[in-house]
This record gives sequence, structure tokens and C-alpha cells, in this order.
Amino acid sequence: MLPQLTANALIAAGAYCLVAVGFGLIFATTRFFHFAHGAVYAWGAYLAFLFVKVLGLPLPVGAALAVVLCAGLGAAFELVLYRPLRARGASPLVLLLASLGAYVVLQNLISLFFGDQTQTLRSGVVRVGLPILGARVTPIQLVIIGAAVLLTAAVWLLLKRTRLGLEMRAVANDPALALVSGVRSSRVILATFVLGSALAGLAGILVALDVDMTPTMGMNALMMGVVAVIVGGTGSVPGAALGALLLAFAQHFGVWHISSKWQDAIAFVVLLLFLLFRPEGFLGRKVRKAEV
Amino acid sequence: MGYLLHILILIGIYVILAESLNLIAGYAGLLSIAHAAFYGVGAYVAALLALNYAVPPWLTVPAAVVAAAAVGALVAWPALRVRDDYFVVATFAFQVIVFSVMNNWVALTGGPLGLPGIPRPDFFGLTVKSHGGFLLLTWLFAAAVAFVCWRLARAPFGRVLRALREDEVFAAALGKNVASFKVRVFAIGAAMAAVGGCLYAYYITFIDPTSFTVMESIFIISIVIVGGAGSLRGAALGAAVLVILPEALRFVGLPSSVAANLRQIFYGLMLILFMVFRPQGLIGEFSFRRR
Repeated sequence: MLPQLTANALIAAGAYCLVAVGFGLIFATTRFFHFAHGAVYAWGAYLAFLFVKVLGLPLPVGAALAVVLCAGLGAAFELVLYRPLRARGASPLVLLLASLGAYVVLQNLISLFFGDQTQTLRSGVVRVGLPILGARVTPIQLVIIGAAVLLTAAVWLLLKRTRLGLEMRAVANDPALALVSGVRSSRVILATFVLGSALAGLAGILVALDVDMTPTMGMNALMMGVVAVIVGGTGSVPGAALGALLLAFAQHFGVWHISSKWQDAIAFVVLLLFLLFRPEGFLGRKVRKAEV
Repeated sequence: MGYLLHILILIGIYVILAESLNLIAGYAGLLSIAHAAFYGVGAYVAALLALNYAVPPWLTVPAAVVAAAAVGALVAWPALRVRDDYFVVATFAFQVIVFSVMNNWVALTGGPLGLPGIPRPDFFGLTVKSHGGFLLLTWLFAAAVAFVCWRLARAPFGRVLRALREDEVFAAALGKNVASFKVRVFAIGAAMAAVGGCLYAYYITFIDPTSFTVMESIFIISIVIVGGAGSLRGAALGAAVLVILPEALRFVGLPSSVAANLRQIFYGLMLILFMVFRPQGLIGEFSFRRR
């Protein structure tokens, strides 16, 4: 029981982490909650479904195409919606409301095109997982964990070791100062949307390979990513990973005693506890309660 | 005719929901996506009392109002700690938790199957059954809610809410107890949303958790935004516009599943377009554009 619970928690943490890192990156540089990130995640899964199951492309090709299109979708959000809004001096709440609207539109477009029923990316027979240290884990679940570890490390290195990463941190830290220092913040923000959205699309595809897809999968995944980012501390890549781990373990060990249908409720109780008692999360900057 | 009355009854219910959310989001500037949760708490409390204990409506409605006000005060709690987008996420969390209870506590709420067979409301021997009767009942309550909102908005209470919205620190510096105002406006707004929930439960005679989802909360927010935050007439106008316009889809002859999706796409687009081109809504005074 214990090894299986740990394995399940790690798999969930991997999926949350991929969403959280992308969302956290966008939140750090733009300072608003990009709800439509959840729609990018769901579209990742459905685009892969379109390429692989409808058009018959091989899975790696279809998945790669879907990830590229998701990156494009993220860039489109920034260019068509958020950048014009920012140019009009929109507050984070206005951006948040616009992105909620965008989420609603994109989720319902999935329902229109692909239907509300569950769709699957998997092919062939369902195989029993490999036994690893007393737990059963399927290959795709190993891929989720591996991808989460590798990509989180890669994003962290990007932020710490490259010119683009330095610029991203500069914009996150102080957009005005970054601008006068010669950082073209609009390009940096665009790059964050491309990178974050690609991560979201990939996460959607990997999760769909594990547990199939529904049009509403994005909202839940996004909220788990948001919870992970807030719990871990905004503006910190290791924080997002830590938050994802903590959230996944709270959910999976919480359901040891109570039914698994309460997982959502557990996640949001964790979130509320953090918002009430430690809104800056584990590794984050202080949250402003009010300002003059 | 029945269809027309049905639409008018729905508008009445959404006027109640929009006016009450307008008080919280438009006047106090506390953007909340938990309104469908209050609406649902009202509907479930009334339905459970009526079904299990045959409590008459003149007692179920006050019970629902009190229950929702308590939940509302609880939701305001994080507002004392965090603000703006963090607060939106906190209200989102409450919304999901309340939905989770409705959906999962099967012994009490019937879970996804919902609560069928809610009795027709009976006011001292006078049973409301017809569409016309419900129309009268709904619009009476809507008028009462609008009147209360109007009085509150004009009263010193409303002025303090607007001061909170524009500059919280300044309001505090004037000696206003910011925390108390936030908790009270949430309790009042939630209580009024519960009235809408009771009306819905009695009218449809069947409730299930799918009527009280996050999407419903976003829909109510869209009404307030489209009509205009901080305007009582705006909220009523928004309710009429967003309930009536998507009905046009019905007459084009689309299958109902497609129409449901198109309806949501419609209000999602409205939300985006209003944010870009007219963030103060049709006739509002506030546009969430502080700073």
C-alpha cells in the first residue's frame, strides 16, 4: 500500500509540476493569473489526439506538433489579448477576467469539435504496470516523472545560466528597471508565454496518455498548478516543484483514510490554509496585502 | 407563452444573483468567483428542509439565507489576508470545496443524482404552481433584493464599500474597520444569492451540483461585468442581455448540446471583448482598473 501511494503521489506531483512551472514562469514575469493556461493544457492533449488518432500520424510526431502548436497558442494569447490590454494600462484583475473568458471559449471549442465524451490517446491493450520497489508503475507514468524532473531542472538552469533567463528574472523583479536597463520586456514576456505554454501542452499530452482526456481536464490541472505555485512560493522554480510534491503527497496520503473523491477538496483546503497563514508560500516573496 | 415566462423567471433569478454579486465585486471591489456556491447553498438548504422535514417556504428561505450568510462570512476571511488575484483564487477554492461537498456527500445531498421532487412552495395555503405565479414570486424577490442593494449603496455603508474599493489604506486611515466591512458585505451578498437559490430550487423542483459549478460563477461575473460593475441598473441590464441573447441560438435549430457550448462561448467572448473595449461595462462606474 505504502509504495503504491508514494508512486501515485510522485506521478501526480510530476504532472502538477509541469503545469506549475509554466504557470509560475508566466505569473512571475506578467504578474497576473493566466487562467487560460489550463485551456492550453487541454488543447495539447486534444491536438495530439487529432494528429495521432484522427490523422494517423505516429505518436512522437503528433505529440511534437501539438507541443509546437501549444507554444503558438500561448504566443497568440500574449500578442492578441494580453499585450493590447497591458498597453491600455489594464490591471492584473482585468487581465485575469479576460483570461477567464478565454478559458471558457477554448474549453467549449474542445467540446464542440471533439465532443464531451472521454477520448483516448492510448492504443493496444492495457498493460499491467512494471513492478518497481513494490509499486506498479506504467512506462508512461515513468515518463511523466522523468519529464517533470528534467524539464524543471532545465527551466531552472535556463533562468540561472542564460541571457534570456537573466532577462526573465529582471522583468519578474522590476519591469520598469528592466526596461531602462535595455531589456525588451515585451519580447521576454512573449518568450515566457511560448515556453510556459509548451510545457503545459506537453503535460496535457502526457497526462492524457496516462488517464485519457475530457474537455474539462484543463481547469482542474490548472488549479492544481496554481495551488502548487502558491504553496511553493511564486517566482521560484524549485518552489513550484516543492509545492507540487507537497500538494500531491497531501492528496494521496489524505485519501489513505478518506475516499479519493475528496482529492480536490483537500487541495483547496491546503491552498486556503496557505493563503490564510503563509500567503508567500515556502520559498516566495512577500505578498502585498494592501498598498498606498 | 410558457417559454417566454420561463425566460422572464430566469432573468429574475439572475437579477438577484447579479445584484448581490455587484454589491461584493462592483461596490466593494472584491472580485469573487464563489457566487454560484452561495446560490447553491441557498438552493440545497431550502430543498433539503422542504424535502426531509416538509418545512414551509416562509421558514426555508430564512434558513437558507442564514446558512449562506455564514458561508459568505467564511469566504471573506481570506480577504482580510490577501487581495486582488490571490483573493480571486481563494474564492475559487471555496467554490470548488462547496461543489465538492454537494457532489460527494451523497448521504446528505444525493450527490451527482441531485434532489428531485422538491414540493411546490406553499404560502399559508396558497400554492405557487403556474409559470405566472413563479414569475410574480421571482420578480417580487428580485425587486426586494434590488431595493435592499439600492438602499445599501446609498447608505454610508455603500460609501465605505466604495472607499474600500478605491483605496483600502485610505479607508482604514479614516477609521473604518475594513475587515468588518468586508465580512459584512460578503455575508449580505451571499444571503441575497441564497434567495435566488431558493427560488431556483422551488421553480425547477430538481437541483443537482451541475447548476452550481465554477462555470456558473463565471457566468454571474460576466453578467456584472457586461452590465457594469458598481451600477444597480447595470447588473439588471446585464442579466437581461446575457440571458436573452443566447436564447437566439435556440431558434436557429441547433442541437441543445451544441447550443449549450455556444452559449458559454458567447459569454466567454463577451467577457474578453468587454475587458478589451469597455471594462466598465454597459453602464458601470468601476472597471477593476485600479493602479
